[in-house]
Amino acid sequence: MSIEQGTFVQKYDLLGCIQCGRCTGGCPVTVRTELNVRKFVNDTIEDDRLEELSEKPEIWDCTTCNTCALRCPKGLDPFEVLLGLRSMRAEEGNIQPTARDALESMFNNGNPWGKPAARRVDWMEGIEGVEKVRILEPGEKADVLIHICCTAAYDPRIMPLAKNLVRVMEAAGVDYGFIGVEEKHCGSEARRLGEEGLFEYFDEENTELFGRFDVNRLVCLSPHCMNTFKNEYQNLNLPVMHYTELVAELIEDKKLELKNEIAAPVVFHDPCYLGKKNNIFDEPRYILSQMPGVEPLEFLRSRERSLCCEGGGGKMWVESESKEQRLAETRIMDAKDLGAKIVAVSCPFCLLTLEDALKVKGLEEEMRVADILELLGEAM
Amino acid sequence: MSDIFVLAEHRQDELREVTLEMLTMAGGLGSPVTAVLFGSGVNDFADKCASFADKVIYVDDPTYENFNSAAYQAALVELIKAEKPGLVLIGNTGQGADLAPSLAVELDLPYSSDIIAVTIENDKPVATRQYYGGKIDGRIEFKDADTYVLAIREAATPAGEGGKSGEIVKTDNPVTTEITVKRFLEYVEAAIGEVDITQSTALVAVGRGIREDKNMPIMEELAQAMGADLAASRAVVDAGWLPQDRQVGISGKTVKPKLYLAVGISGAFQHVTGIKGADLVVAINKDPDAPIFQYADYGIVDDLFKVVPALTDKLKGMKG
Repeated sequence: MSIEQGTFVQKYDLLGCIQCGRCTGGCPVTVRTELNVRKFVNDTIEDDRLEELSEKPEIWDCTTCNTCALRCPKGLDPFEVLLGLRSMRAEEGNIQPTARDALESMFNNGNPWGKPAARRVDWMEGIEGVEKVRILEPGEKADVLIHICCTAAYDPRIMPLAKNLVRVMEAAGVDYGFIGVEEKHCGSEARRLGEEGLFEYFDEENTELFGRFDVNRLVCLSPHCMNTFKNEYQNLNLPVMHYTELVAELIEDKKLELKNEIAAPVVFHDPCYLGKKNNIFDEPRYILSQMPGVEPLEFLRSRERSLCCEGGGGKMWVESESKEQRLAETRIMDAKDLGAKIVAVSCPFCLLTLEDALKVKGLEEEMRVADILELLGEAM
Repeated sequence: MSDIFVLAEHRQDELREVTLEMLTMAGGLGSPVTAVLFGSGVNDFADKCASFADKVIYVDDPTYENFNSAAYQAALVELIKAEKPGLVLIGNTGQGADLAPSLAVELDLPYSSDIIAVTIENDKPVATRQYYGGKIDGRIEFKDADTYVLAIREAATPAGEGGKSGEIVKTDNPVTTEITVKRFLEYVEAAIGEVDITQSTALVAVGRGIREDKNMPIMEELAQAMGADLAASRAVVDAGWLPQDRQVGISGKTVKPKLYLAVGISGAFQHVTGIKGADLVVAINKDPDAPIFQYADYGIVDDLFKVVPALTDKLKGMKG
């Protein structure tokens, strides 16, 4: 190894790796794919192998669930090496067409779903009991700025989450506001699909955009947006929260009353970007425990050991070649074995992947997957 | 305008329909039509062309047993120089794309590809070419020349009835030197079962509504009766009932058929994003609130196990 070697792993702060293998040992996707993150960290130390390594299909299997980072005894983020390899591919434009289309749409439309920017506020139509969502003017004051993720803004299945978030704000008398049609993608999925440059663009754009308003905190619907605003933006001087944190606070302060029965055994599935990445485990469980009739259950694999649904890390746009059962299906079968009637989540991607798995398993009649925001809407 | 040349296209002992379409199109332009046929022992093709043309130039030579763009181009150059046609029509096909632009460049002639209609104005051709997925028709005029080359899209005009009896002129191969730059090796057939659903004109897309693997045959039967290919939602692919290359949606393929029949598909956003290029969407679902009906042009709210067999029977009956 020459003195110049190892600059790549250094960039991702992985020279401290001792090759113990705890990362690969805990990696949930190893049951489905060839991915061996420990070996990638080892091999990428040779700069002249980077090209070859970046062409391995399994670099796209990582869901960035953070399990490897939690298990690393040296406190490293091993999966970052895979994002680095993806960015080599993205730089050459040599990525899967589905990922390319998503990235193009992020740049052109401000969302990965190929939808026009002008339709971003469609979700505001017809919210029960809410006449008008408060859109902030530049310079306007508010306690909370809500951030609706691209998926909630455009996917009709997820729109009810955004509607219910507004209903909660109104019911609890929160001084909130929304950006409106100018809101755009957070850049999280751009970065995970390897487009560092595009991520930096969103970092600058959104920092400027949020800076126009006189708000105390940013509350995100999706843990993915929250994570990137909170941990990856360079100059955003705004406290960032997930909606579960705010709602738990509102319930504790008796500002939000939950009176309708849910009456079902409910198991909470920890979204990786909420739990494993940001240590928010208790707030969602607290909210559920305050809903009348809810019988809380726990997965064997919960909290730090929670099983990833495979919706993150850009995986909504990139399929694995694996024919093995999806982790979301395993999760649904675990929930069934527990006797759960509702699998509660607090992330749009988890909702979509788990609901798909429910269909694949043909269990739509027996159980349902619901976001905590939907359950709040029913309980209010 | 002087004569119109139409290059006859054939492959694996079959005269391609585009030949008759182009001869029909040329017949409506008011100039004598000459079919140019390169082949080896294909008298029946010459006869067929003669029934659509005023004249057939038939070069019967083993060189032309299989298509070779270099050989065709060399021969066409000689024939065009000798006969001086006003217009040369070549199919906008795999063969035509290999030949026509290169021919036009060699003879420095005006050329346009993928033409759907031609008229003659002031003794010059004016061609129509589509843009933006067929939303706009472009009018193409050409600089003055003695001869123009156009590649004509397949199925742009229907082939007529024929009924002419053109003279068949057997001509010696105008190219005497051997073509070595390109050689025909073999035909490689696409493996059976491999279907590229992004190219399908009609798709029957199967969703979880079919419940079980053993219900797939009724879908296959419907697709066959429609002349359609099978596609699927992600859930059906995950269940292993159809291969991944049939998956439509955000993490699968984006398709653009003329007809997309969604059967038992609820219409998740991630799925319907993949069908935005479809001309006509028809949905069959027992749930009237299924989101697919927001995207469908027509919908049938009923049990697919009743609708699909009835539809298949009806289609079979129509075919007779």
